[in-house]
Amino acid sequence: MRHARWRGVARRHTWWRGLATAVVATAGVPLVGGCGIQDSDVIEAGGPATVEAFLNRDADMLLFFRSPDGGLSPVIREVRPSAGFGEEYIEPGAVERAPSGPAGPAPTEKVVLALLSGPGEADRAAGLTTALPAVREKEAVKVEVSSDGGVTARLPLAVRALDATAVRQLTCTIAYNQVKDGRGVVTLRGLDGAERSGSCGLAPGTSG
Amino acid sequence: MSRVLLVEDDPFVREGVQLGLRRRGHDVRAAGTGEDGLAALAGFRPDLLLLDLMLPGMTGVQVCRRIREHSQLPIIMLTARGDDFDVVIGLEAGADDYIVKPARPEVIDARIRAVLRRMDDGSTGRPAIEVYGDLTIDRIGLTVSKAGRPLTLAPSELRLLLHLSAAPEQVFSRQQLLENVWEHTFHADGRLVDACVARLRGKIEDEVGDPRYVQTLRGFGYRFGPL
Amino acid sequence: MITVPRPGRPRDEENERADGAGPAAPTRRRSRVRAFGLRTRLLAAFLLVAAVSAGTTSALTYREARNALLKTAQDMAVSTFRDQVERTGWRLPVEEEGIEEILRDLARTGKPRPWVVFAEYGSIRASSGENPVSSVITPELRRAATADRYGSFERVVKDGVPYLTIGMPTVFKTGPDSTLPTGLVLYAVMRMTDEQINVDALLVAARNGALPGLAVALVPALLAARSVLRPVRELRRAARSMGSGRLDTRIPVRGRDELADLADTFNESAGQLERSVGELRDAEARARRFASDVSHELRTPLAGMLAVTEVLDEDADRLDPDTAQAVRLVSAETGKLAVLVEDLMEISRFDARAAELNADEIDVAEAIRKTLQVRHWAGDDRIRTELPPDIRARLDPRRFDVVIANLVGNALRHGGAPVTVLLRTEASSSGTLVLVVEVADRGPGIPAAALPHIFDRFYKADAARTRSPGSGLGLAITLENVNLHDGTIRAGNLPGGGAVFTVEIPLRAEEAVR
Repeated sequence: MRHARWRGVARRHTWWRGLATAVVATAGVPLVGGCGIQDSDVIEAGGPATVEAFLNRDADMLLFFRSPDGGLSPVIREVRPSAGFGEEYIEPGAVERAPSGPAGPAPTEKVVLALLSGPGEADRAAGLTTALPAVREKEAVKVEVSSDGGVTARLPLAVRALDATAVRQLTCTIAYNQVKDGRGVVTLRGLDGAERSGSCGLAPGTSG
Repeated sequence: MSRVLLVEDDPFVREGVQLGLRRRGHDVRAAGTGEDGLAALAGFRPDLLLLDLMLPGMTGVQVCRRIREHSQLPIIMLTARGDDFDVVIGLEAGADDYIVKPARPEVIDARIRAVLRRMDDGSTGRPAIEVYGDLTIDRIGLTVSKAGRPLTLAPSELRLLLHLSAAPEQVFSRQQLLENVWEHTFHADGRLVDACVARLRGKIEDEVGDPRYVQTLRGFGYRFGPL
Repeated sequence: MITVPRPGRPRDEENERADGAGPAAPTRRRSRVRAFGLRTRLLAAFLLVAAVSAGTTSALTYREARNALLKTAQDMAVSTFRDQVERTGWRLPVEEEGIEEILRDLARTGKPRPWVVFAEYGSIRASSGENPVSSVITPELRRAATADRYGSFERVVKDGVPYLTIGMPTVFKTGPDSTLPTGLVLYAVMRMTDEQINVDALLVAARNGALPGLAVALVPALLAARSVLRPVRELRRAARSMGSGRLDTRIPVRGRDELADLADTFNESAGQLERSVGELRDAEARARRFASDVSHELRTPLAGMLAVTEVLDEDADRLDPDTAQAVRLVSAETGKLAVLVEDLMEISRFDARAAELNADEIDVAEAIRKTLQVRHWAGDDRIRTELPPDIRARLDPRRFDVVIANLVGNALRHGGAPVTVLLRTEASSSGTLVLVVEVADRGPGIPAAALPHIFDRFYKADAARTRSPGSGLGLAITLENVNLHDGTIRAGNLPGGGAVFTVEIPLRAEEAVR
């Protein structure tokens, strides 16, 4: 009799435990589900926004400088007919284009020289810098397009010592001024005889 | 000694009882049915009737009632134990006593003698005639009258009244009355007394529901008076 | 000459059994609502299921609704932001001057609500609001925008306020099919307070929907519990009813479920039980009627025989010795036979429950004295009595006489002198006053093996003594007579030797010593 009663109590306990578990589970579902609005992860929602940058392929050149986060930032600069070095370029946006301005893309040699002359005032104001060393010699840039579409540039500087950003600055600038989509392999050849080649790979969808 | 009419349907019992009682000196006449018994009454004029309750045709109770309509002949019922219901009915019909069968002749003889015995107790040193309220009791003549009108009481009723009135206001238990009035044992059936009291009250009381002469003392018994 | 059992003193078998079983059986009075009864468990299970389903449904519905709500808001915000951003034009490099105007312009077009727009370009940090840099935008979002160049969003809760932050890197076309990142990343930060209010409202609605659901579930739960419990209750009542002897109890069978099967089985078993018990009872009744009939039939010839035994006895002396002896033998045996038949009839009446108690209030000591006196034992020096006066009890004098006579006679026959008869009253364990009569002897006592059977019919304690003056029914009749008085009788042995029979009959308070 006593045994049976004890067993009964034990069974009752397990029964209770089951009930408690069930109740907790029941009450827990909405709780775990969360009330109100929670933090979320970063969720991708499509590609980047395409904005108007007023690029005129016939009159503008694209230069790539180093932004403070280490990446490359393109800047658009109008090509002037008597494009000298340094002071001859026009501040973009602030200047009306000269009616006598030449049409047609700027020669790549001129663009590379513009890049080598470093960021302008406006570029610097936006925190853009260059990784390229200053170059004294002028007219020493020569760009050749080989039969397979590759581009080779002879530069008035030592290529071996250039860091990756500097190489990319040059590569991208040459590539984008050579082809609209900036594809293609660019080979840099310096005064030191070293050669480095690569592609820009800045366009969305390409790795890099 | 006495003339006994036996009404019994079983011939063997009838013969046996007749034989036994005759040996004890009674003049016994036997009848096989109630009708024959009633018919024999006038010719035989018995002192006492021994009446079997279970009879074919007219039952013992019916015979008893018929006789009590006009006669105070002492009647003793013969009954089997267990026929208690019949005993009560028989007593209410006016029987004075009963005997449970099978009974030895000496038992039957004792009952007969008890019923027939004259009341002789309590009469010494007392006036023969006593008056209680409307009731006049003549102990010598053995008559009772109420308001001058004589009452016909069965032997057991008369004996009970005489016994109770001999000691007014004294309480008698049923057992005492069974022993003293019926000469039964202490352990006999108290309903014998109750039935007799009921019959007696029906004759002497003004109101049976509120008896004046024979009063009940619940749990103890009966007493005569107080008036 | 068959006597029919007549309605006599009510000796209601059922009542007596019910009363008798009352204190003996543990009274298992159960409260109607048990803590862990079937009803409670059914209700709990039902409510649990209802709670789980209502809770789960509510929770899932709530989550879906919330997510849909948020998704709508987020998607609209992201697409609107992109649309608006794509309508802007920037010169590269971006100049700090004039940037805030564009941002404020963008900020006004926020959908579904205005947002704060932040711009990051190079080292330029600008916003449409007061602070140029948002404290809400996480490094993860910033990395997704600058390194992975995806338009992306993130919900951020800061100080309990939920924000939607959108990072939108920008590109510009370098050709018809090619684009180039501008380096400019625009961020929009929108408070989601309205969404929060809506979501909170959703939550309240979900909760408010679930609770009435639970309450509603209580009704079918109670109904289901009832539908299960009612057959169970009926079954219990029926079983109890059967237990108390009403074998014709049946349960109405409803439906075809397991409980109906159970009821069916119960009814079937009850039917079989009733039939078996009925057959047993019939057989027993036939046996008893036979005994009763036999004794009745014997009685009539015995009445005649008994009437003539005296004649035989008286005349035996005049017969030749052999005949005389034979005649005396017949006479003596006839007497014994008469006693036996009478006892048999008495037992038959007890068996048929036709025995009546003609109780009268008597002086017990006097009754015992008269019993001894009638049996001519009053002056017998083998018998000692201790009979205190003034004990009155409601007894059937004839049956009490039988009890005392049988016990004393039994003691004189089987025990040894002196036989003592003791009368007293004492308070029983239950507090009522009982009349106690003890009849003890100084004989060898009752063998232990015989004790349990001492009140059995025709039981002979001493196998060698096959013939005793009694009928063999004396103690059985004594037992029945005592029981008829609601009393008890027990047999035992005294420590110093000798048997003792103790009769206890309850006295009612007003019938005690006066």
